[in-house]
Amino acid sequence: MSRIVLDGITKQYPDGTTAVRSLQLDVGDGELLVLVGPSGCGKTTALRMIAGLEEVTSGTILIDGRPVNDVEPRHRDIAMVFQSYALYPHLSVFDNIAFSLKYRKVAKPEIRRRVEEAARILELEEHLQRKPRQLSGGQRQRVAMGRAIVRQPRAFLMDEPLSNLDAKLRVQMRAEIARLQRALGVTTIYVTHDQTEAMTLGTRVAVLNRGVLQQVAPPQELYRRPANLFVAGFIGSPSMNLLEARLERGDGGADAVFGGHRLRVPAQVMSERPALDGYLGRDLILGIRPENLEDASLLHDPDPESVIELPVELREELGSEVHVHCAVGERSGGAQVETAGAAEAAEALRKVLLVATMDPRTTVKEGEAAKIAVNLAALHFFDPDTGERIGS
Amino acid sequence: MTAAPVTPAPPGPGQPEPAAARGGPNPRARRRLMSGWVFFLMAVVAVVMLYPFYYLLDNAFRTQKQFDQQNGHSLSSWTQLFHQLPVGQETLNSLLICVASIVIILIVSTSAGFAFAKLRFRGSGMVFLLVVAALMVPLQSIIIPEYVNLSKVGLINTYLGAILVYAALGTPFATFLMATYYRGISDDLIEAAVMDGLGYERTFLRIALPLSLPAIATVAVLQFIQIWDDLLVALLFLPNPGQRTITFGLAALSAGRTSTIPVLMAGSFVSAVPAIIVYLIFQRYLVRGLTLGMGK
Repeated sequence: MSRIVLDGITKQYPDGTTAVRSLQLDVGDGELLVLVGPSGCGKTTALRMIAGLEEVTSGTILIDGRPVNDVEPRHRDIAMVFQSYALYPHLSVFDNIAFSLKYRKVAKPEIRRRVEEAARILELEEHLQRKPRQLSGGQRQRVAMGRAIVRQPRAFLMDEPLSNLDAKLRVQMRAEIARLQRALGVTTIYVTHDQTEAMTLGTRVAVLNRGVLQQVAPPQELYRRPANLFVAGFIGSPSMNLLEARLERGDGGADAVFGGHRLRVPAQVMSERPALDGYLGRDLILGIRPENLEDASLLHDPDPESVIELPVELREELGSEVHVHCAVGERSGGAQVETAGAAEAAEALRKVLLVATMDPRTTVKEGEAAKIAVNLAALHFFDPDTGERIGS
Repeated sequence: MTAAPVTPAPPGPGQPEPAAARGGPNPRARRRLMSGWVFFLMAVVAVVMLYPFYYLLDNAFRTQKQFDQQNGHSLSSWTQLFHQLPVGQETLNSLLICVASIVIILIVSTSAGFAFAKLRFRGSGMVFLLVVAALMVPLQSIIIPEYVNLSKVGLINTYLGAILVYAALGTPFATFLMATYYRGISDDLIEAAVMDGLGYERTFLRIALPLSLPAIATVAVLQFIQIWDDLLVALLFLPNPGQRTITFGLAALSAGRTSTIPVLMAGSFVSAVPAIIVYLIFQRYLVRGLTLGMGK
């Protein structure tokens, strides 16, 4: 167990591409930190720098206070689980798990004890003599985990270890990894592009975009108070609705006006976020999570100032919930079109859609107008120029 | 609800009639006909390729007179062969030179191939290009400089001289093949071994080398056949009769006036057998190694 500190690390390739820019992170002892972001955001590069598989261009990596930039991977005492599992195909499951111990000159009885213990935890006891090609995807993933845990390393690094599994197995293995990490209490840095995986696994989640750290916070904090437009759009499924709006002074308070609609911003929200006062009479970006929109007809006595009426463009049934896509206005500009069919398609693309996650009992229909109630206490506001969150 | 028998509807206007209705062969029969043609063609190719071996073996068991008349068989050509040619010694010489050269080629090509494929070092691409360029240089154009160089260090008429020449000639192709094979091994596997506590040297020995056995077998077989069948290097670098290889011995036999065609046939057969045996044992790996990078 150990503490890992990334002190302003940067990775720049010889062609000038900067994969990671001044990354500052402090991963506590026993913590499971998830690095999440879209493809190419630099999360795997950051992980490989911690492992020692990539050189650091500038900045320092500290493990338990000791700089390790120039320490070889094998001397960092870190175990890594690869996306491809990287099992040695010519060795049995037992030998795969025992591999690192043999080269660390651990006594044979101790190797056997540790491998059998890991196999018991990971339910691999029956497969110890098999070769990796004789195992299913989930079993291979467990062998990769076993190889990491027998070493009893100072930290685990996991590079999208579940991405090759089917959806059902991924959920199962996700829970197993979380259980195992808590039981072992080993500091873990986990890389994924899947925000659901990030939110369910991480003690804290670090969101990266284009090599720059956007926000690092516990999952609920990221969800409730995204630091900027990128995090707001990336965390949550379906993603947050982001609308161009104007904050206007209304009767005894402020109103957010967008696409011909007006929503009352509660006095409590204004008082909690004093910075919003500075945006009165100005444009800003209004953020509304789909789950903060509901069919008003299903609510008992909704506040009339929180209800807007929107035409329903699409209704998607998901069983436990319904996703309703409504048009709230049009984007500025638009394609020049000539044929009739293309004109309709272009018109559809120009529309700004707002997605609502509704109760399955909703009766809203495509092509009809629906009254939608907005949870006004959960509105988000962002600066249109910087993209930063306004207020706390 | 009652189930009604389903009868296929007649083809509508503009729709093609089924092949059977047109009286043409159905797809299965067409496939069978096609594979029959392929089999016939392959059989013709096999006969063309194997006939010289049959001719060689058949005439190796004749006397010169029987060969002229193409009638009767005898073992006298074999006794003459073993009388005129030290077959055992020359086969042993060939074997020694082959094995030693292949060992050197494998040591150099596996380690160099791994370095080119998996290690990042300055000038790697340029050096690999030079190795590939060496593949294009014909043996005949460098054999005289090689001779001059080796004679200066006293390696003419020694096994070592011939072994070094064969190793130098075989290494570029072998390195190219091994580098191609190692490029197919996932980088994750190498990095996993490094993370598991091995340096690159032990990763090469414990992970890369065992995984590259098919490529190693391919290199070994191809080089064995090439070195075993070579005459030019043996003629130049091993002129001493006691060090001759089997191909050199056969060439000397054909140049002599006392040998007959059946004796030469018997000698050729003896010289071809080891290469054929090696090929037959390793052909499975050979095909796999030669089709590297083709498809998934």
